[in-house]
Amino acid sequence: MSTAMNFGSKSFKPRPPDKGAFPLDHHGECSAFKDVYMRCLRAKGFDNSACRQQSKDYLQCRMERDLMAQESLEKLGYKDLLENEKEKENKKGKNSNHAGTQ
Amino acid sequence: MALLAALRHFPLPCRKAPLLNTWLWCGRHVVQRSTHGTPRSAGGEARRRNITVLTYIAAGAIGMLGLSYAAVPLYRLYCQATGLGGQAVAGHATDTVTSMTPMRDRVLRVLFNADVHSAMQWKFRPQQMEVYVVPGETALAFYKAKNPTDEPIIGISTYNVLPLDAAQYFNKIQCFCFEEQWLNSGEEVDLPVFFYIDPDFVDDPRLIGVDTITLSYTFFQARQGHVPTLPGFHGTGPGSKE
Repeated sequence: MSTAMNFGSKSFKPRPPDKGAFPLDHHGECSAFKDVYMRCLRAKGFDNSACRQQSKDYLQCRMERDLMAQESLEKLGYKDLLENEKEKENKKGKNSNHAGTQ
Repeated sequence: MALLAALRHFPLPCRKAPLLNTWLWCGRHVVQRSTHGTPRSAGGEARRRNITVLTYIAAGAIGMLGLSYAAVPLYRLYCQATGLGGQAVAGHATDTVTSMTPMRDRVLRVLFNADVHSAMQWKFRPQQMEVYVVPGETALAFYKAKNPTDEPIIGISTYNVLPLDAAQYFNKIQCFCFEEQWLNSGEEVDLPVFFYIDPDFVDDPRLIGVDTITLSYTFFQARQGHVPTLPGFHGTGPGSKE
């Protein structure tokens, strides 16, 4: 541990988090999103990459209820999910245009 | 004959010795050295030279001393700019998160551990034992804390990452550590940790065989009015918040 008196060996230097601490969710306002995320994790063998949509939803829940500082999702590493959503919306837009014209 | 006799008594000077600022007397080789009793001009110039040299040496010594004092903040600035030595790089973190791409060929297993100090009566545990992440992708994990006692307890936590070589690549975007968390009696809360592993992890030669990282949190009871010294958190160091 960091308290060992090993002269010259590495020690662990704890660093504060980049965006500070999460305020506590005393009323469990986002517990539903958390449960969805945990169920997804258990179903997908605890693979984080498979459950990113659910984790994004949880963070959005926190931001809506003032339990987290507002931050654009790109800065939280969800740029690829946002791009996928935009692509889907564009495709939907194109399809509805086609339907409208025909 | 008389001329020669006269010359012997009054020798003629033949050339001027530039350094000694005197005349060399031919025939007698009388040389005047710049001693205590020498003319003022010769000694004065030498003294001025000496004083100049001494001034340069003194200035050099003071400059070296000042440089050794200035080296501490300068080195800190250099580390912040280049990110060497594992120091938190000021202003670099959000750029990394926005622009990083996941390294899908290197899957890492992150184990979660929860501890409490012996005097701390909270029940604290992780909600998942492990999560499989890749460097360059943000991940979310949960811990759960419950206060089973009859009175509110304030907790404060710190964390540890093993192996130590991997600790510098483990970046927490947001968590619940280093700040006092108040739990009322009987209250149970979810404590999230939002983190990512820096993509430079795959380039580190010391971490070639590492595929398991353990994140361990420990909760302590915070005393009322007691402000612990937190690592660069409240100060003006490179890790300080905002």
